[in-house]
This record gives sequence, structure tokens and C-alpha cells, in this order.
Amino acid sequence: MLLPLYVIYAIIISFGSGVLGALLGLGGGVIMVPLLVFLLHVPLHIAAGASIIAVVATSSAAAAAYVQDELTNMRLGMFLELATTFGAVTGAFLTSVTSEAVLKVVFGLSLLYAVTTMYYQMRKTTRSWVSRQNDRIADRLRLDGSYNDTARDELITYGVGRTPITFGISYLAGVVSGLLGIGGGGIKVPAMNVVSGVPMKVAVATSNFMIGVTAAASALVYIRNGFCDAFITAPVVLGTLLGASLGARLTRKVKGVFLKKVFVALLTVLAARMLLSGVGV
Amino acid sequence: MLRVGVIVSFVLVIIGLVLVSITGDTSYPFGVPEFWWFIWGDPFLAPSHILFIGFMVLISTPVLRVIVSILMYLKTRDAMFSAITAAVLMILMMSFMLGIG
Repeated sequence: MLLPLYVIYAIIISFGSGVLGALLGLGGGVIMVPLLVFLLHVPLHIAAGASIIAVVATSSAAAAAYVQDELTNMRLGMFLELATTFGAVTGAFLTSVTSEAVLKVVFGLSLLYAVTTMYYQMRKTTRSWVSRQNDRIADRLRLDGSYNDTARDELITYGVGRTPITFGISYLAGVVSGLLGIGGGGIKVPAMNVVSGVPMKVAVATSNFMIGVTAAASALVYIRNGFCDAFITAPVVLGTLLGASLGARLTRKVKGVFLKKVFVALLTVLAARMLLSGVGV
Repeated sequence: MLRVGVIVSFVLVIIGLVLVSITGDTSYPFGVPEFWWFIWGDPFLAPSHILFIGFMVLISTPVLRVIVSILMYLKTRDAMFSAITAAVLMILMMSFMLGIG
């Protein structure tokens, strides 16, 4: 028996999403799930289950590259992980009792959120980062850190402020991740960076470490509940891993701005289709 | 460790996918699987069970990372973070045990 055709299509879709995701510093899930739903007519629950396992794969592959350096703040990550894993379990449970239509609307709204933040990032040329002092919780847990900025050749130390807010947002990021089968880095990174004053590079590395653990929690619920279709998940895992590793290599050669415009346009279309399909138009 | 986990699962998934396509094995349970199927398969190491083990190896790489962190915090006698990390591990375990099925 030959490979069923949709296995090949699933590999192509996830490969493309993996490349794009790595180029833009997003997980591929946010683009792959809608493509699987609309192009291959995979039920959203199954697409989300395949995506969340692929998210574990890309996170682990990327983390292997990060571990050597000192960017990842393990203490901060592990503390926030309390909130995200619990959120992920909540979200993954909600998925199994939520109808496809409601999920589509939630997914569409999340895509709109992603589009809006990307749009504003494109317009803002310089990133305003405000450093903060440790608050009481961060002080007690010693969440602050430092790293060597190789570009500027100086040691950057940072505190972690407003910890409870970031903890709360992390819980929500976990719920979204579990509910929709995406990584949720787009929610955690701004929380750490803007709310708590963690430098961007540290926020990205720490979020990436967290995504693997969060996605593992969601993935276990999906598998246990039978939302892991082997014939969709296997090609998606393979395609995403290959695509992400190619994307990581291409990052330096491709112009970011043009790509982001294309991506924003694509996400807007997908968001609209998700919402319309959710309300039954 | 992370890299090994990713590579091993990658190979298992490829082998599983090829074998499933050749044999047309459909023993992977659709719907909610029985708990013991995850461990013993039906039969053990049927092509779709290999696929599934590949997924599980992948998912256990971040879980292993959490376990290693617990040991590290215990070694440095950091009671607070040993407890926080252990709680994360418990949530992970709970997520698999408390399936709706």
C-alpha cells in the first residue's frame, strides 16, 4: 500500500509552517492548524492534537541549541511553569468538551490577536524595554538574573517585577496552548518582556523552554482523550521538525519585514475564515 | 539529552509511518484508547504502536528535563524550588492519569 495522499499533503503543509514559524520566531502551530483544517478537512480537535505534539518537537530541538548559553532563566521558567502547565491541563480538558464551532471562533480570535501584535511590532522600530526591580515574590524566589550580551559585550543584569501579573498571564497562555494546540509563546514573551521587565532575548529563550513542558502537559491530555490521530500526527511531526530546522538556517538570509507582511496578510485571511466557519457562514 | 530524544523519536516515527503504510496496520485505536494499550500495544510493537512510542519519547524529553531539574535543586538543598519543580511534575503526571475516558 502506498502512503495515503493526505499524509504527503500533511507533510508539505507542516513543512511550510515549520519554515515560516522558525523564520518569524513563532511556533508553526498558529498557521499549521488552520491549514490542516481548511485544506485537508481535518477536524480541529485532531489538528490541534497533532500540532501540540509537533510543538514539543520544535521546542526541544530549539532548546538543545539554547541550553549551552545562559539566556534561559530556569528559575523564572520553572516558577511560571506552575501556572502554564496547570493552564494547559485546563485548556486541553476544555477542548474535549467544547464543540468544533466554538473552538473555531476562539481560534479565530486568537489569530486576530496575533495579527494585531505583529502589526504593531512592525510599526514600532525601536523596542522600548523598561528594566525593573525584583518585587517581593521575585526577591524571595531569587528570580532575577544576568547574561552576557555578545553583541554589545557587556554583562546585563535584570530584575523581575510585577510577578503576579505575569504569573496570571502565564496561566492564560497555558489555557490557550492546551485549548488550541499552539505553543503560546506570543503571549508569554510580551508578558515577561513588557510586564516584568525581562530582556527580550531572555524572555524568548525562557518562553521556549517553557513551551516544551507546557505542550507536553497538553499533549498527554490529548493522547489520553483519543485526539491523537497517528496518520495526521506522524507526518505533521516529521514535516514540522524538518521545516523548522531549515527555517532556522535561513533566518539570516531572508529579509524579515517583507515576510512579516505576507504573514500578517495570510493570518488575517485565516482568522476571517476561522471565524466565519465557526459561526456557520 | 534533548537532541537524543528528538532524534530517537524522529527515527521511530519514520519507521512507524513506513511500516503502517506497508502493512496497512490499523490497530491504532480510534476514539479513546484503553490505558493498557499505551504500554502493551495490540500486539506489542505493532507498527502503529511503534508510532505511538515515538510520540511518547518526544513528549517525555521535556518531562525528563523537569525531573533533572528536581534532582539539581535537591542537590543544592533548595527546598523552595525542589517543591515548585516537583509540583510541575505532578501536574504533568496528573494530565495523563485524569483522561476523561
